[in-house]
Amino acid sequence: MSQMICRILPEVELKKGSNIMVYGPTFSGKSIFVRSLFRDLTSEGYGGIYVLTRDSAESLIEWLGEYYDPKKIKIIDCVTKSMLGNARDTDSIKRETVMDLTGISAKISKFFEEFWRSGVRDIVLVFDSLSTILMYMNLQTVFRFLHILTGRVKMTGAVAFYIVEEGMHDEKTIVTLKQLFSGMIEFKEENGKKYVRFVSPFKKTEWSEIAVEENAVVVV
Amino acid sequence: MKVVTGIPVLDDMVGEIPEGKVLTYWIDPEVEGNVFAMQTLFTNLEKGCRCAYLTLTLSPDVVVSEFEEFGWDVNSYDGFELVDLYSPYVGMPSSCSLNADPTDREAVNSLIRRVIRECDLVVIPISSMIDVCGEEVSDLLPEWCDIARDSGTRLILSFVSWPYPKNVKKSISDISNAIVKVGGVHHRVILGYYYGLIKVDWKNIKSKAILFKLVRPGGVRAYIPKILVTGPYNAGKSTFVHAVSMRAISVDRLGTTVALDHGHLEYRGFSIDLFGTPGQERFDPILKMLGKEALGVILVVDSTKPETFPRAKQMLEEVAHFGLPYVVAANKQDLPGALPPEEIRKRMFLPEEVPVIPVSAVKGEGVYEVIDALLELLTGSWQVSEDEFEIPA
Repeated sequence: MSQMICRILPEVELKKGSNIMVYGPTFSGKSIFVRSLFRDLTSEGYGGIYVLTRDSAESLIEWLGEYYDPKKIKIIDCVTKSMLGNARDTDSIKRETVMDLTGISAKISKFFEEFWRSGVRDIVLVFDSLSTILMYMNLQTVFRFLHILTGRVKMTGAVAFYIVEEGMHDEKTIVTLKQLFSGMIEFKEENGKKYVRFVSPFKKTEWSEIAVEENAVVVV
Repeated sequence: MKVVTGIPVLDDMVGEIPEGKVLTYWIDPEVEGNVFAMQTLFTNLEKGCRCAYLTLTLSPDVVVSEFEEFGWDVNSYDGFELVDLYSPYVGMPSSCSLNADPTDREAVNSLIRRVIRECDLVVIPISSMIDVCGEEVSDLLPEWCDIARDSGTRLILSFVSWPYPKNVKKSISDISNAIVKVGGVHHRVILGYYYGLIKVDWKNIKSKAILFKLVRPGGVRAYIPKILVTGPYNAGKSTFVHAVSMRAISVDRLGTTVALDHGHLEYRGFSIDLFGTPGQERFDPILKMLGKEALGVILVVDSTKPETFPRAKQMLEEVAHFGLPYVVAANKQDLPGALPPEEIRKRMFLPEEVPVIPVSAVKGEGVYEVIDALLELLTGSWQVSEDEFEIPA
């Protein structure tokens, strides 16, 4: 598992088939954390699938810079197609719309198959973010979608991270979603400082203070 | 006007869709199955039918571009009507004259009733309607079916079978005159896609499953699955392929396979191509090449020669790279000294879940049991008879 997660959450072992919610307020470092994790894991040989609902594929590719390798990194861009109806797919970038959960699900499944058939068994999936989907679709619909997706992640032995914005959803939504995940990486901000911890039914770590840089999250 | 599904093989099975009938594409959530309804619509649009397509999760522009991806220029036909329930939902002005806010039940009901009365064929993405409008929308279906029956309109429902409550699934099943399941061949990942007729009330036919690929442009294309038959030199692969196939051919030199065995089999509603690989190590690149396209593997071993098992394991590792399910055919069980399947499992360190089937390819014994075991591994629920279809009674 990524060196970054070993440094930030040293007591946490993310097993194959884990579905992890990444939860915290806006600008607390969630996205940078997940992107850095994704970059590290794909550099270590993982196949990566990144679902974007807030940024375009091109912006992620720019952020990844030299680490972007279309053979190892597959992107599902749920932003561009709504704006430019004729945006074309490539082998490694598929465009969907944020409300087309069937399309997103089918594309993720196709990428899993491609990795599987090419002998890649370690796969990381990032869903950035679920909050956008929840703005358009009701909780029940999103729950059904996640029920299938988290099941597939378990079956393939992948590791998946799903970003959820704190403060955007009611308590019922968060409690409902939590049922689907094996654990949660939680972020908070207090007195101008940022913290992270891991929570699961079996483990709860102490809050660790972090600093969020442009391209990484580091322990203070 | 003769209205058909436009789907290969399916048209041969169901023929013309009679007036007033409801055909449902019942789609696995991880499968790109909405193309089936699109293909049905475009096929009939080309014939001069007036066809309507409802959209809730895609903007009208995106819908048209999705049709175009498959080479279907719907906008060039006067008979095409796009019913936009998306733009009002996301607060955008609609470019379509037929539009309504999907949260306004009365407005939606009134618009859809009108469209059903005026068109020859209407595509309704019913699962998207449930997702956006709520499960209660399925209560409107019987009324829409009545109108379709009275006006002779064919309704095509595109239903993605997310884990909805049983009563929702049952209501959709009950109002459908025909159901075509569009599913995935599940292993750890989905290795392929198939469709099969679950029920049809206007014809008495035997169902079968057809594997398909999506071609852009082109749409749904049926294809035949490849099964790889591999194993060490002289294990009996060619004999196995010939024993199980309706027609088979081998490329031999001095009695041993040097290129390929190829056999074709029509079995349990499936068309299957078997590819046998040579057993010698120098031909291993062929194994790799075929493994990329195959759906499953049959490993043939000579039960009387345990000294060949390490080579068999090595060949298995070559194809295991592709993550394919496999079955071991313990061949030559008719010969003295043949090890029983459980002994072979032990000596080859095979996991319990891997079927090891006793076979005598020369006598044709056990060969179909091998195919059955592999189909079972590949398909699980990949049966398309109505009694095995997961709709609650």
